[in-house]
Amino acid sequence: MKHLTHFVSLLLILCLLAGCGNKATDNQTPSQTETPETAETPADTKTSDSQSQEESVKPQAVENGAAVTVTDMSGRQITLDEPATRIVALTAADCEILYALGAGDTLVGRGEFCDWPSQVTEVPSVESGANTNIEQIIALNPQVLLMSTMAQTEEQIAALENAGIHVVVSDAQDIEGVYEAITLIGALMDKNEEAKAMVSGMQDAFAQIRENSTGDGSETVYFEVSPLEYGLWAAGSNTFMDEIARMLGLTNVFSDVSGWAEISQEQVLQRAPDYIVTISMYFGDGPTPDQEILSRAGWENIPAVQNKKILNLQNNELSRPGPRLKDGAEILYDFVYGE
Amino acid sequence: MVLRFCTILCTENRFDPIMSAESGFFPLRTCFLQEDLILKSNKRPESFRPLEYLIFIAVTTAVMLLCVCVGSVMLPLKDTVTVLLNALTGAGFPESELAANILLPVRLPRVLCVALVGASLSLCGGAMQGLLKNPLADGTTLGVSSGASLGAVLAIAFSLSIPGISFGGTMLSAILFAFLSLALILTLAYRLDSSLSTNTIILIGVIFSMFASSISSLVITFAGDRVKTITFWTLGSLQGSSYENALVLLGTLVLFGGVLLGYSQELNAFAVGEDNARNIGVNVRRVKLMVLISISVLIGVCVSISGTIGFVGLVTPHMLRSLTGPNHKRLLPATLFGGACFLMLADLLSRTLLNPRELPLGVVTSFVGSLLFIYIFYTSRKGD
Repeated sequence: MKHLTHFVSLLLILCLLAGCGNKATDNQTPSQTETPETAETPADTKTSDSQSQEESVKPQAVENGAAVTVTDMSGRQITLDEPATRIVALTAADCEILYALGAGDTLVGRGEFCDWPSQVTEVPSVESGANTNIEQIIALNPQVLLMSTMAQTEEQIAALENAGIHVVVSDAQDIEGVYEAITLIGALMDKNEEAKAMVSGMQDAFAQIRENSTGDGSETVYFEVSPLEYGLWAAGSNTFMDEIARMLGLTNVFSDVSGWAEISQEQVLQRAPDYIVTISMYFGDGPTPDQEILSRAGWENIPAVQNKKILNLQNNELSRPGPRLKDGAEILYDFVYGE
Repeated sequence: MVLRFCTILCTENRFDPIMSAESGFFPLRTCFLQEDLILKSNKRPESFRPLEYLIFIAVTTAVMLLCVCVGSVMLPLKDTVTVLLNALTGAGFPESELAANILLPVRLPRVLCVALVGASLSLCGGAMQGLLKNPLADGTTLGVSSGASLGAVLAIAFSLSIPGISFGGTMLSAILFAFLSLALILTLAYRLDSSLSTNTIILIGVIFSMFASSISSLVITFAGDRVKTITFWTLGSLQGSSYENALVLLGTLVLFGGVLLGYSQELNAFAVGEDNARNIGVNVRRVKLMVLISISVLIGVCVSISGTIGFVGLVTPHMLRSLTGPNHKRLLPATLFGGACFLMLADLLSRTLLNPRELPLGVVTSFVGSLLFIYIFYTSRKGD
C-alpha cells in the first residue's frame, strides 16, 4: 500500500512536471540552509532603489499610481495599483524569467526547487507544489505570488488574496505559453520592452533553428528522463522536448505517449532511435549518464549507440518552460547538425 | 536491539531442559509431528512427491515460456523459439536481429529475476506465517520491507558502496535494516504480548512500517541532489535486471531458501504452537533466529534489486495452502513455484497492459494483494 502511495504521488509529480510544464523535481541545489531572516532584509531594501536606477520611466509610473491590469494564464484579471516590486515565484521557470528580465532583485521568495541562475538560491525558499505553505508566503509579504495551476485549492487562493497578495497564474504548456508567461511577467513588473525583446529573441532563435534544420522527420530521437536503473521514463508528446525535436526536423520515438511516462525497454530497442538525449544528473561517481547508456546490454544495435550520438543535458534546459529553452534547442541543434 | 531480542528469546527458553539436548530428541519429535499432522491434514502425503514436483515445475516452465514469448514488443513465436534454441545450443545468430537483442539481454533476465524475487518473497511469507502462527504475516505487513527499503534509501542517500560489487552497499544496508526491523518489531510484540497474537504483531508491524516510511521521506527531503534518484528507486523496477542480478538472487535463494526449507519440520511444530515446539524438542531459539536471519537476507536482497513489491509473500502461501494443506514440508516448496508464477504473471500484466508504457510491478501486486488481504482478513475474523 505504501508502494501505491508512492506511485500515486510520483505520478502526480510527473503529471505536474510534464503535463503542466511545471517546475522540475530534478533540482540540483538543496536550499534548506538559508535562513529567511538574513536574506530577506537586503532584498527588501534593494528593491525600490535599484529598480529606479534601472529604469527611469518606472518611478513616474509609481508616482502617478499607474495601475497595471493583466490577464493571467488561467484567464483571471488582476489589477495592481503599481508595478510589482515584491514577488514570490514558486516555479523554477518563473524565477528564470524574472532574472532574465533583470528583475531578479524583486524576488523576495522562491519555490524550493528554483536553482537557476545561481543567485536565486540566495533568495529565501518556500515550499511549493503540493506542499505550498500559505503562511510562509504571507510572512514574506509579497505583492504578487506567481504560481502554476497545480494543487492549489480555491480556499488557499482566497486566503492569499485576503492577505492582500495578488495570485497570478503562469502555467506554460508549450513554447507559445512561454512567450505568454514572459509577456505576463513583463507587464507585472512594468518591463514590457524587455519582455518583448526576450520573446522576439527566442522567436528569432527558434526560427533560425527551424530554417537551418534540414531534417525531414525521418531521423528519430529518444528523450530519456530517468535511467534504466530506476525504471526508464521517456518524454512523449506534449512536452517541450517533443516540440523542439519537431523544430529540428526530428521525430520523437515516443510521440504516441503523452507527457512523461515509464516506458518499456523493449520498445526503445524496437524503435531504434538515431539520437538519445538524457537529462539524468551525474553525481560524480560511477559512469556518466552517456557512458552508462553506451554500456547497456542489448542496446549495441541502436543507431544512436552505434554512432555514439548521445547527449546529456544536465541543467534542465529542455524540461523547464523558461527562457533557457532557446539554449537547450541550440545545444540540441549543434548536437544533431554538428559544428 | 538484536541483543535485547536474543535475551528475550533466551529467557523464554531458560527453564527448558530439552533445549540443551536437542539432537537426542529428534526421533521423538518427528513421530509427534507426524501423528499431529496426519490428523490435521486429512491424510495428505507428508512431503512433496516427485510427481507433484514435476507438475509444479511444468506449470512454472510454461508460465515462464509464456512470459518470455509475450512482451511489450510482439515477436513472432518462430523467432523467439529460434533465438532460445540457438542460445541453448550455443549456435550463433545474426548480430542485428531484433528478437535476439530483445530476448536475451532484456526480456529473459527480467523474467528470471521476477521469478526468483517472487519465489523468495513467497517462501519468506510462508515461513513467517508458520513461525509466527499468523495468517497475515508477510514482509510488507510486518514492516520488514519498509525497513529494508529505509536501509536502501539511506545507502543511496549517503552513497554507501562496496567497491567492485554494484548494488553491494544498497544490498548490505537493506539486509541489515530488514533484520533490525524484524528484531525490533518482534521484541516489541513480545514485550506487549508474549503469545504473539495476530493483532499485536500486525498492529506493531503497520506502525513500524509507517515509522520507517516517514524516516525514508525525511531522508528524501534532506537528500537534495539525490532526491530524484531515490524517488524513482522507491517505486521499484525490474526493468534494469541483468543476469548478474538473477545470479545473486539465485544464490541467496539456494542458500537461505534452503535453510528455510530445511526447517519445514520445525515450522510445523511452531504452527501448532511455540510451547508445543519446545515440548517436543525443537531448539526454539536457534530455529527462530536462523529463520529470521534467512528471511531478512532474502527480503533485503529482493528489496535492493527490485524495490518493495507488496503482498506477494502474503497472498501466495494462502492460495497454495488450499492445494497442499498446512504441512510446511509440502507448502514451502509449493510457495517457491507458486510465488514465481504469481509474480511472473503480474509482471506480464505490468509490461503489456498499457503498452508502450509500463506499470510499476508493485502496483499490480498491491492491487490484487490488497483485495485478497481484505478477503482473508474478513473471512478469518468472521470465523472467530
